[in-house]
Amino acid sequence: MWFDDVPLGDKITIGSYTFTEENIIAFAKKYDPQLFHIDPEAAARTPYGGLIASGWHTAVVWMKLMIAYRYARVAAGEERTQANYVSPGVRDIRWLKPVRPGMTLTYTHEPNAKRDWASLPAFGLLEGYNEARDQDGTLVYSFVNRVLIARKPA
Amino acid sequence: MSALLTYEDFRAGQMFALGTHVLAADEMIAFASEFDPQPQHIDPDAAKELLGGLAASGWYLCALAMRMMVDGLFIRATSLGAPGVEEVQWRRPVRAGDRVELDGEVLETRSSSKADRGFVRFRFTMRRINADGAGERVMFFSCSVMFGRASAGSA
Repeated sequence: MWFDDVPLGDKITIGSYTFTEENIIAFAKKYDPQLFHIDPEAAARTPYGGLIASGWHTAVVWMKLMIAYRYARVAAGEERTQANYVSPGVRDIRWLKPVRPGMTLTYTHEPNAKRDWASLPAFGLLEGYNEARDQDGTLVYSFVNRVLIARKPA
Repeated sequence: MSALLTYEDFRAGQMFALGTHVLAADEMIAFASEFDPQPQHIDPDAAKELLGGLAASGWYLCALAMRMMVDGLFIRATSLGAPGVEEVQWRRPVRAGDRVELDGEVLETRSSSKADRGFVRFRFTMRRINADGAGERVMFFSCSVMFGRASAGSA
């Protein structure tokens, strides 16, 4: 799909992920080995009162679910590949609530803005607003993703 | 063991060197296979066609930076995590074998509504160290990290 053809405002649910003591600790031991992410007993003595997931764990699960969602769409013939997509970064990452073992987060994505990208005029910047909510619907995490997508050739 | 760094130890303008790391293909692929399984991150042959070679997932660079922040600073401080990140910019592809360094500059400090902690706002910058020794900025982001106050005891 060309940049010009991407519709704005279509909110999609990309998937859900259950955080467990096991996957929280496994991620954090590699990438964020602070006590409140890797040691349940030590975590209980911190202001968090128990083990919580690394914020980056919550963040990268979005990517995991988004890729699975897109590839499923491609496999179903509903969407073409997105080899022309590249991301210059993300913004406004907000870790609003601690993510604890046993929580299942459901992630949503909504393309909501298009911008010019001066250094690559053949591409446009698409921004999307993303949320993760817990089983009760409480907002736990949000951020804005950004991808450069080729414009329709003139 | 020396005392942990607390909120009071941070000042605007301080610069923390947070170490260097040589990216390994198996680490990059292991991360991407679980969290970002796109061909340019997990399949060396496909990556050669797409980007001229296997490139690290931007999210892997974030996770790597976090590990370097913990090992280089937070392990000896009263870090209480961060409520978010303002903006992450991925500026250049980073490949297996690349040597990167990370530094953290303190932009400002500010108190919190919670008496036991304060915020230290950092700009973290990852640079690739090229063969000639010059550093090339590959990623940066700013975020406010919470640190316990000395009066609150070590967290």
